[in-house]
Amino acid sequence: MKNESTPEDLLQSLLHDEADDAVASRLSECAGNDPALARRIGEELEFSEMLRQVLLEGDFTDQKLESVLESDALECGDLVARVVDGSATTFECDQVVKHLWENPEATAELKRSLAVDEWISEAVSESKSGEAFVEALETRMWAETRQDHFVEDLTARLEDEIDPPENVVPFPGSWIAPAAQVGAVAAALAIGAFFAVQVLPSSSKALAVASIVKSSSDVSWAKDSTQVQDGALKSGRYQLDSGVVSLKFASGNEMTVEGPAVFDVNDDATTFVHHGVALARRQNADMGISLRSKGLSVSDSAQLVGIDARSETSTDAIMFEGDGGICLTERGICRELYEMEAVKADLGRDKLVDIPYNPHAFAKAWELLSGVEKNMGSVRIEMPGSKVGPSHEDVGEVQVYVENDSFRPEADMEVDKISVGEFASAETNSGQALQTEGDLRSYLLQLWPSDGSADDEEVEASLTFDHPVVGVIYSSDRLASSDLSVGSAITHVGDGFNDLRGLDSGNDSLLLSKDRKTLNLKLKGGASQVDQVRVLVALN
Amino acid sequence: MDSDDRELFVEQVREHHAGLRGFVRALGVDPLWVDDVAQEAFIVAYNRLDEFDKERDFGAWLRGIARNLVINERRKDARRKRILSDNLTDVLLSTSSYPEDVEEEMGDQGLAKMNALKFCIKDLPEKSLQMLKARYEEESSAQAIAEDFSMNPPAVRKALERLRTALRKCMEERLAPASA
Repeated sequence: MKNESTPEDLLQSLLHDEADDAVASRLSECAGNDPALARRIGEELEFSEMLRQVLLEGDFTDQKLESVLESDALECGDLVARVVDGSATTFECDQVVKHLWENPEATAELKRSLAVDEWISEAVSESKSGEAFVEALETRMWAETRQDHFVEDLTARLEDEIDPPENVVPFPGSWIAPAAQVGAVAAALAIGAFFAVQVLPSSSKALAVASIVKSSSDVSWAKDSTQVQDGALKSGRYQLDSGVVSLKFASGNEMTVEGPAVFDVNDDATTFVHHGVALARRQNADMGISLRSKGLSVSDSAQLVGIDARSETSTDAIMFEGDGGICLTERGICRELYEMEAVKADLGRDKLVDIPYNPHAFAKAWELLSGVEKNMGSVRIEMPGSKVGPSHEDVGEVQVYVENDSFRPEADMEVDKISVGEFASAETNSGQALQTEGDLRSYLLQLWPSDGSADDEEVEASLTFDHPVVGVIYSSDRLASSDLSVGSAITHVGDGFNDLRGLDSGNDSLLLSKDRKTLNLKLKGGASQVDQVRVLVALN
Repeated sequence: MDSDDRELFVEQVREHHAGLRGFVRALGVDPLWVDDVAQEAFIVAYNRLDEFDKERDFGAWLRGIARNLVINERRKDARRKRILSDNLTDVLLSTSSYPEDVEEEMGDQGLAKMNALKFCIKDLPEKSLQMLKARYEEESSAQAIAEDFSMNPPAVRKALERLRTALRKCMEERLAPASA
């Protein structure tokens, strides 16, 4: 836009959504000197918004919701709504400001709206509840008032309790080292950082420090990435353009990375994720995991931790299972991070901030890490922390919950009888004792009842597990009695939930493949029965 | 600070956190940073508790601290700011005494408001509740909610605005007898 453009030209440019920052700036300047122009801009934008919303009104498909919400016309437009939901850009905020200049009552109204929005958030979201706030404040106060002894405690434990075995090289330097050791820009993640290891013993793979144990079908590595040979990763920088890969270190600990991602694998068995989403799972009770980033460092006893390092300005960490310590790497200030808690390290401000537990960024990585693959049908692998409840999707979706990642079953645990290699109806049966030793993982498969309109609809699904299935439980009473045995951490929701769970005798059927890894289900949705199957797989 | 002071402080946190968070948000703080700013206000208050005159209103004192924190945000580098916009916060700060009772209203009765709001939310139809949870619990964007509910983003914003309006009306009605 040329300098000689009139305010009218600038306004038209804005209304046609063609205003760049320079135009917006000049228009703001003009409006600042001309209240009439400022008012005109506000009116034009408001009218444009009204037109847009009227035109879109026909797409408001949920008439029931429409009628429920029917009320007086909105006092503020979409721009104000954007301010309220926090998505407004600076420019959009400025447009709202122009409107507010002339209307102090609207300002008071906006303030009330913002406050109410905050209260609704606190009332609806558990992570914003009063208890969560007080707990987070308490933790932060301990840290910021320098009364937190976590750093000293953990350092002492590292020195006293971990006795490195022979032929391992101690991790160089303290893990609470300043960020200068970690890298100035990159988000860094280290797994199994306490020990340098060699994963693959053969001579051709002697330099490998990790191996790929599983990957999605769409994995693609960049051309200039360090080459992955025979699934072995040597020291170097890797660029994963797409797909998800799970790496395993000799310590037994795993890291799953979702592309696009850039990460380093180092000789000392540490990995540094410059960009991307990563999940780390501790598989070895004797060796802790340590996730580190420029902004934060999660470590110690955590069992499943994730970091989201896709942003250049912040890094998120989320504790899925177990508890651990989290530190600001640059300042060495530490606090505890409990299960289902999440924090954001603001890289510019060098500050840890509690954020809501929102695991969705890790959905793809979790699908691979969960150890179950969907072959057929509408299947959703639920994230850790999900409550057993209705599916958010259409009726007919099978939900898969990882109830307990690893546990040792009780001796008298009873499972249902199931034939192998052929479809058979789920029948009432006398059951049998679980014949296995060692650690198990428990999955709960569920088909939530329909809304009553699809009683006779049959849902088919097929799942393949990483480990052999050693027990299947589908009887209501055995499901209830085994809840405690599997140590299910899932919170069931809804009254009378336990009364109608399990498979419907004679109607639902299932097939376990001969290799005991693939389970096919044919389920009648029904209007009241919650179809549930507990699947136990042997980890070793 | 003695143990009595600490106990007093904990009580005050429980009583005032909801109101304070609403107040902070109403000054244009980014929703993602509201708890951070509110917590910082409590920490400042904790460190200065010796200066607090127990005859005064603790909530008003807290709001004053929070207000100063927000004012300081305007002086920070852009990437360190916890507010949506300098200009917006300027307007919201400058009118924080207009009308004079708004500021008090924003911060007072926090717990009562929360309880009333929870009661109102319980009465919502399932689908409305799902939309609220998508927005506030899962923190989905209007775009994502629109896809889940087969709506357009502006329609989602409008629906949420109507929900907020309805809930606010319900909350105020429930509080009215108690306030009268």
